[in-house]
Amino acid sequence: MARLGLALLAAVLLAPGCQQTPNEPAPKEPARTSGATGVLSVGSVSLNPGREYETFRPFADYLASRLGEVGIGKGRVVVADSLSKMVADLQRGSVDLFIDSPFPVAFVCDRAGSRPILRRWKRGSDVYHSVIFVRADSGIASADDFRGRIIAFGEPFSTTGFLLPKAALASSGLRLVNYEDPAATIQPDHVGYVFSNDAENTMFWVLKKKVAAGAVNADYFEALAGSRIEELRIIRRTEEVPRNVVCVRDGLDPELIRAVEEVLLAMDEDPQGRSVLSGFEQTARFDRFPGGSADQLGRVMELLAYVEEDLGR
Amino acid sequence: MRLGLKGRFVAFVMATTIAFGVVLTALAVRTQNDRLRHELVERGKLLTTVIAANATDAMALLEVRELRRLLAEVLDQENVLEAVAFDEDGRVYTDGTLENPSKHTPIGEAERRHTIASDALLVEFSGDVMTVTRPVWLGGRPLGGVRLRYSLAGLARDQAVLARRTAMVGAVFTVLAVLAAALLTEAVTRPLKEVIRATRSLARGEAVPTLRVRTSDEVGELAAAFNEMTRRLRETTVSRDAVDRVLGTMGECLIVIGPDGTIDRVNKAVSKLAGLPEDELVGRPCDELIGTPEGFRSLIDAVSAEGPVHGLETEMLVKDGAAVPMMVSVAPMAQSSDRPQAFVVVASDLSERVRIERQKDEFVAMIHHEVRGPLTAVHGALGLLAGGVAGELSDRARGLVEIALRNSERMERLVDDLLAARKLDTGKMDFRMEDADLMPLVEQAMEATSSYGTKFDVQFDLDGRVEGARVRVDPDRLIQVLTNVLSNAVRFSPAGETVTVSVTRREKNLRVSVVDRGPGIPEEFRDQVFEKFAQAGPDDWRHQSGTGLGMSISRAIMEELGGDIFFESEMDVGTTFFVDLPEA
Repeated sequence: MARLGLALLAAVLLAPGCQQTPNEPAPKEPARTSGATGVLSVGSVSLNPGREYETFRPFADYLASRLGEVGIGKGRVVVADSLSKMVADLQRGSVDLFIDSPFPVAFVCDRAGSRPILRRWKRGSDVYHSVIFVRADSGIASADDFRGRIIAFGEPFSTTGFLLPKAALASSGLRLVNYEDPAATIQPDHVGYVFSNDAENTMFWVLKKKVAAGAVNADYFEALAGSRIEELRIIRRTEEVPRNVVCVRDGLDPELIRAVEEVLLAMDEDPQGRSVLSGFEQTARFDRFPGGSADQLGRVMELLAYVEEDLGR
Repeated sequence: MRLGLKGRFVAFVMATTIAFGVVLTALAVRTQNDRLRHELVERGKLLTTVIAANATDAMALLEVRELRRLLAEVLDQENVLEAVAFDEDGRVYTDGTLENPSKHTPIGEAERRHTIASDALLVEFSGDVMTVTRPVWLGGRPLGGVRLRYSLAGLARDQAVLARRTAMVGAVFTVLAVLAAALLTEAVTRPLKEVIRATRSLARGEAVPTLRVRTSDEVGELAAAFNEMTRRLRETTVSRDAVDRVLGTMGECLIVIGPDGTIDRVNKAVSKLAGLPEDELVGRPCDELIGTPEGFRSLIDAVSAEGPVHGLETEMLVKDGAAVPMMVSVAPMAQSSDRPQAFVVVASDLSERVRIERQKDEFVAMIHHEVRGPLTAVHGALGLLAGGVAGELSDRARGLVEIALRNSERMERLVDDLLAARKLDTGKMDFRMEDADLMPLVEQAMEATSSYGTKFDVQFDLDGRVEGARVRVDPDRLIQVLTNVLSNAVRFSPAGETVTVSVTRREKNLRVSVVDRGPGIPEEFRDQVFEKFAQAGPDDWRHQSGTGLGMSISRAIMEELGGDIFFESEMDVGTTFFVDLPEA
């Protein structure tokens, strides 16, 4: 299973980029500002481009409608099916803004030279973290007990499902080794990990004792555990990172960046903007990173070191 | 509201069509329901089975995301209310949604037990919901299962749609059927209406046109039958008018009496005689109009046993209280078997006859008193003259006196015969019946007539005798009959001939035969021999010496004596008269 996750990750990294998946529906004509002809492209990564496009389109239209003074008359949504394609789009300049969780954003910033500008309060949260949990009857009392056992992470590019828990365990001195088979025999001094590719998978794998431990977004832990939460025990909580991040491509007009920042920061004060934000994955607002983006995302960039081997570098 | 034939037929067709439509709709809906239900069940089984098969690997690998994807696709299917995948403990993995609120919740105990016991499908119905559970087994052990719940409400919607469509089609057909029925009924009732109009015209006595026979079906047959009926009715009406005219014209009274003895009908003669209009007479008991005939309690009793009776004398009680003598005939009237007996009475007014009879009686009395007495005196005087009591008469005077004497004798016989005939007619002649020897009576009659025969040079010969033959008769009346017969024989026998008399026994009768050698009785006169004042020929003066009443009186006397008189005659050969009497 771990090998399957790595293969998927490799495909993500190596596949050529594209602006739009072939089955993406044709974008509707966005609102135009009188005289403005420029296009602002907002990018996202998803394996469901249709739904993603519909999610992002009102946001892109709203943004473009407010950027007429800087020459933007049209908003465009670009959905890539992998981060590697998004990196390529950003490098090519076909995507101006990329919005995602800290791990992917940190990845594209690292690979494409993009720059984080604002924090997005996705689903009403400004920050989030991960929990590492086990069955309460597993006999595991601490992370040290993970040796010789397997832990399930989520998707390879998940911030809370992979980056934060792996970094947390690795930073505590455990040696984590990727496996494909959850039933594989793990060396006593290793901690094996597999990708479940889904938080629900992770939860059930732990509950059904397919793996010894799992890591999921702390915000979803209780919901995922549901009525069986008593059967679980949280071994560790990771540090918090920004919930979602807006980054801009390298080389984007600073005036445009400034204008984008102004529009996004004021969006929650505008009734129309609030309406768009509500439909945009329940975004509460956009704000600046407390302490600056370099401080906030810099920490995430540091954590990338713990997953370098998984990123194929 | 009373519907006509058309309305009833249309209503019947409409009701039948609607009923048929309702039944058809119900059957169609039921059939469709069964079919849809079967299809839905089979589809549900198949879908659940397919999902379970596809979910096997994901379930074995605990790929809940894959299970969710599979079930999410199922949720997009029509009629699927819920889709869950569950583990071998019966806890739900996923319900196909991202939120997955059902996760970890236990499915039903029955489904769990079924899952761990068998990999067969479990299908359950509850209201409008069908639940299909498919256990997922791998390597001989249960991994869990997939449970899909289907709404059958869609089935109800389909049924409703089908019912609506069928009802619409039924409504269209109903309208068409009603229109067709209306047209058909119109085609049928139009000729019927013509018949009805014609019938009403007929009832009002108006002229009825001949109906046109358009078709050869029952309606055409009705029109043809109506035409035939009106034709015959016209004929019958003409006949009845003729009968009415006859009845109104006839002088006889005609009375129809119903079974209950009341008067059903009378003709004008009755109204005229009774002095009451017909409508006042009809309905009355017949006894109020016609008196009870002698010997019967009522007029109808007269016919009850013996059948028709004729000649009953009774009286009609007329308006002013007077009684008119009537002679009635009563006969039962032929009726159909299911109708009670009625009677027809024909009555003749006897008033005129009674008056005539009275006049006859007066005339006879007058003859008896005013003619016979003087005639006897004349006859006696002439006899004395002829006997020379008044002196010797000259030859010329003697001749005249003898002529007068013969005519007076003839006049006496005529008067005696008239009186005798009248007595017989009125039943006033006395008969003194007694047992007597026949032969002496015959000889006595021959003796009494011998002088008359001598006068015409005719002899009597008693050729046959029956000694000791006795009869019960009035001897005088029998001798009167025999004398008449013998006198006749003398009158019609040529001079010098013999009249042969013989007595014979024939079974229980005794017969006296008188044979003459006269010219015979002409064929055309034979029926009138026993009529009053009947004489064969006026040529011979001797013949005119008879009164013409003798044979009539003889027959009347023989009837009273219980015997008979008749004759055989052959022209130019002679005539034989037979007088038969029952032997005492």
